[in-house]
Amino acid sequence: MTIGINEFIIVSSLLFLIGFLGVILRRNTIIIFMSIELMLNAVNLALVAFSRYNNTMDGSIFVFFIMTVAAAEVAVGLAIIVMIYRQRQTILVNELNQLKG
Amino acid sequence: MNDSYTNFLREISLTNDWLLLMPEIILALIAFAILGIDLFLKSKKRVWREKYLMPVAICGYIFVLGILFLDKSTFYIENISHFGGLIEQTDSNQFMRSFFVFASLFVTLISGQFLSKKSLPKAEYLHLILLSCAGFMLLVQCSHFISLFVCLELVTVAFYVLVAFQRTNVLSLEAGLKYLTLGGLSTAILLFGIVLLYGISGNPEMNGFINDGFQFQALQSFIGLNSDNLIVQLGALFVLAGISFKIGLVPFQIWVPDVYQGAPTPTMSFLAVASKAAGVFVLIQLLQGPFLALDAFLIPILSVLSVLTILFGNISATGQVNIKRLIGLSGISHAGYLLLGVIASYTIPQALDVVLFYLSLYLLSSFLVFASLAYMDNEDDSLLETKNYQGLYKKNPLLGVASLIGIASLAGVPPLGGFIAKVLLFIVAYQAGLYGLLAVAIIGVVISIYYYFAWIRSIFFIPNEDNTDCLKEVITLTAPQKIILIILIGSVSLAGLYPSLLNFFI
Repeated sequence: MTIGINEFIIVSSLLFLIGFLGVILRRNTIIIFMSIELMLNAVNLALVAFSRYNNTMDGSIFVFFIMTVAAAEVAVGLAIIVMIYRQRQTILVNELNQLKG
Repeated sequence: MNDSYTNFLREISLTNDWLLLMPEIILALIAFAILGIDLFLKSKKRVWREKYLMPVAICGYIFVLGILFLDKSTFYIENISHFGGLIEQTDSNQFMRSFFVFASLFVTLISGQFLSKKSLPKAEYLHLILLSCAGFMLLVQCSHFISLFVCLELVTVAFYVLVAFQRTNVLSLEAGLKYLTLGGLSTAILLFGIVLLYGISGNPEMNGFINDGFQFQALQSFIGLNSDNLIVQLGALFVLAGISFKIGLVPFQIWVPDVYQGAPTPTMSFLAVASKAAGVFVLIQLLQGPFLALDAFLIPILSVLSVLTILFGNISATGQVNIKRLIGLSGISHAGYLLLGVIASYTIPQALDVVLFYLSLYLLSSFLVFASLAYMDNEDDSLLETKNYQGLYKKNPLLGVASLIGIASLAGVPPLGGFIAKVLLFIVAYQAGLYGLLAVAIIGVVISIYYYFAWIRSIFFIPNEDNTDCLKEVITLTAPQKIILIILIGSVSLAGLYPSLLNFFI
């Protein structure tokens, strides 16, 4: 059995969906972050697969940009989470509900 | 594969035109200069550092504005792809470049007092504002999904930090976290859309497939041939969802009130004006560029979004007493009016100019409201309510008048600038034949008068004696603050009386 473009796209869409559900359903901020990373990596997988199948390099180059940006995003995100933990001693989303009106 | 790669590199190096991006490069250099000043004069010259960082940034903005206006031809070559199709300059995105410098200049001006009062580090804040200004200026000139993504993220990551900038304030941190998670989600959705478009447009089995699946012009020609393809439509929808998040259109607006309330006031104003303007402009560029052939599919969706956005923004703002949430929710309704102009631009080309006019009036009147909010100098802006505006006119007449003119212009009271902008927008919508949408927009304006006027009334209303007042008894303004307010009041009123003045800029 050969693994073609379709299999890659199905796996990538599944990963994206799992990540999306993780962001929506989970309450722990760290897990939400992992889910966002999962979504970005699903995108990376699809990009590489398409890049190979379409025989163009652009997709593979884009992957590097996405990885760099994801790293920057996580750096900022973890800093915010650490500060929140110091202030509130919790990182559960449903307990961070002081903004409402 | 290697051949196309080397061709790509060769093409890029031939069309590299660094001089065109000089304004952005200068802003980035000033940003790093400010960090350098802060780092190397750390302990010795604290006074110097506190005193001169702000003027350095302001001079930088004024210099960049100056070269953008006076030496236009050096930084602007029309309708040629630069950097191998990454950057394309048009008249309208040149206007947006100056727009963002103006917005950042105002944010810098109102951030000084706020940062000193909360004893927050100035250098980092100014650095991030400068960098995101450069990011915005690049973002509106992008004609390639890679550069679009990188510029968008440059701005977004800077905003994550700017929103959570009050590190000891729980509200600010919570707002930062909410913006970060939802921003990350929207980025991922945008990227998935880009990947779908790239994958389908480069597929050798497709009719008229292209090698450069990220480039807007190439995509436009591909989508023109395959506009009924399901994956193309899905990709376009995902991309638009990612952009709608930045504007705060209705299914993606959940973050707006919370983030606006928690964010520091200068950040909130930058978010409200620059981020929204960039989103709307990128939306227009995508709809008139790569997604042009999808009009039959997208116009109904956009119309529904516009109706929902206008109604949701106005109706949810009516019961709102918290000032910053009110600003956020009314901003959502303004996004809805702008979307009306975006839809009209399918049939009427001048609608683009009208949208830009509306954006610039939105900038001026919003900053009038934000500047008075920042200069009121209260303990915690996040908890400020409409009733705290009571007696503002008595405490400081200039602040009272400034807030009045700003709010009235946002509401669209004649003869202020906001009125002319709304009228022009509605005329364009009428010409484009969007009667249903126009009716909804007018209903929205009528609803908005209710909450805007409740706000205005409290400015002139004398408070009861027992009113717990978080405003000071006497508010004093420094001379530069007065000058800023007077300039803004003047320009909002003049734009209403002589709208043709703005033709000079557009």
